[in-house]
Amino acid sequence: MSGEVYIAGIGSTAFGRQPDVSLLELAAEAGRRALADAGIKPADVGIGFFANALAGKLFGDLTIGQNVFAALGMSRLPIANVENACTSGSTAFYLACLAVRAGEVDCAMVIGAEKMCVPQLGLLSSGDSELDTLLGLVTPASFAMRARRHMAEFGTTVEQLAQVSVKNRSHGVLNALAQFRSEVSLGEVLASPMIADPLTRFQSCPIADGASALIVCSESMARRLGARITVRAATLSTGNYDNPQDMVRWRTDREGVEKAYEIAGVGPADLDVIECHDAFTIAEILHYEALGLCPVGEGGRLVAEGVTALGGSKPVNVSGGLLARGHPVGATGVEQIVELTRQLRGNAGARQVHGARLGLAHCMGGDRAADTKSMTVAVLAA
Amino acid sequence: MTGTMCGDVTEPAELVPGLVERVNGRGPYALVGSRCPDCGATVFPSVVRCPYCQGQPLRQGVGAAGSLYTYTVVRTRAPFGLPEPYAVGYVDLDGSGLRVFGLIDPAMADELTVGQRVEVGLMRLGVDGQGRPCLRPVFRSEHPTASEVGR
Repeated sequence: MSGEVYIAGIGSTAFGRQPDVSLLELAAEAGRRALADAGIKPADVGIGFFANALAGKLFGDLTIGQNVFAALGMSRLPIANVENACTSGSTAFYLACLAVRAGEVDCAMVIGAEKMCVPQLGLLSSGDSELDTLLGLVTPASFAMRARRHMAEFGTTVEQLAQVSVKNRSHGVLNALAQFRSEVSLGEVLASPMIADPLTRFQSCPIADGASALIVCSESMARRLGARITVRAATLSTGNYDNPQDMVRWRTDREGVEKAYEIAGVGPADLDVIECHDAFTIAEILHYEALGLCPVGEGGRLVAEGVTALGGSKPVNVSGGLLARGHPVGATGVEQIVELTRQLRGNAGARQVHGARLGLAHCMGGDRAADTKSMTVAVLAA
Repeated sequence: MTGTMCGDVTEPAELVPGLVERVNGRGPYALVGSRCPDCGATVFPSVVRCPYCQGQPLRQGVGAAGSLYTYTVVRTRAPFGLPEPYAVGYVDLDGSGLRVFGLIDPAMADELTVGQRVEVGLMRLGVDGQGRPCLRPVFRSEHPTASEVGR
């Protein structure tokens, strides 16, 4: 592998319902903060990637990235718009790392943004014209079926599932940008309305408006800027779609993680802090197992024992995760990496994982043939 | 359960024609997929070209019954005019071994268990893109109920 890639700047808006702020202004504000954090000028950026998943469907808007970067005074550089469901933002990050690592540019900027707290949102699926969607496969159902199978095979309990929400909501209290900043009890999670058995509302991430931005750069530029967080791996994987799929021993998930571990030269024992795609409680439990934090089938026990809580030995989603921080789809994959950067810089305030040196961000997006459509992993080191 | 009344001459159309067929034209329903004569791959739903080798596959029944691999009952606002709540699941089909997603007869929503036996049916369920009632394939209890269409 040629040049090292560094994180030079980060920026985020608050996540949550923001009816008076446009998608463009959310995205531009995150971008301004990232430029200021890096201490660079727009002219220093060689390529721009804009991630968004839903504006085409919700507003009929296309090629929004050019509008966003133009608002930041960036109009002559190459710009690409990226859509990869929940991994839109982390896919944009992957592409930005490729561009810098290839030596094509010294500096690349990623902005992910979503505005989805609008009346026309409806239920999210993996594609309105896909057969599974026409037969009723809404996103919560997909994860509910994994949860049901996990319970049947491994004896995972509804209390263990709910504990993921309790944990991540308690983390969200410590994150000023999070949508939910109050704790919930196990009883409240289980008593909230059933969405798709066995998943209740408080086990499903909230929709949100929000934006996050990242600036990545080459080693020489990092030295100039004093940036010291490196990207040890940035991977993008796609499902295999073979039939049958084992829905609780997720092959695509495990293989995607193994690829990232191999590139970074690390294993689960080395990780200090993890952000993963907890769109629903069961997802976090499945990702524990794919990440090798515990044997297959024991993810429920892992969360129940507190191992993955702030203060535990493998803290997961100390930002609050999607369950507390909120899930503006295009921003999520970027914000996970922004959070790792805060943690590895030692700037995460009350939710700081002490001495964090190595972090991993894991994201998944879309659903096809009982597999994911897209999966990303990023490994960052201080 | 909504069924077609005896003497109703305007039976709704299938949402996606060709997903199910009666075995030998009048036997039980089976899901129809594709089998590739070149590489032997069997897929559901049917495809124009084999996704593994780009060979020209043949339409083939991939299963009339199977066992429930997993399921859920969806209690949010239902899309496409489906009943509230409605049930969906993955079924391991006898014969082909394919694990296929589909709707489950809403009458079974309160009594589902992993591993239970189901068969393929066709039922008046929900609406199409134009809001017209339509037939969707379902997994239902192996003993047919009176709500079945076309009997």
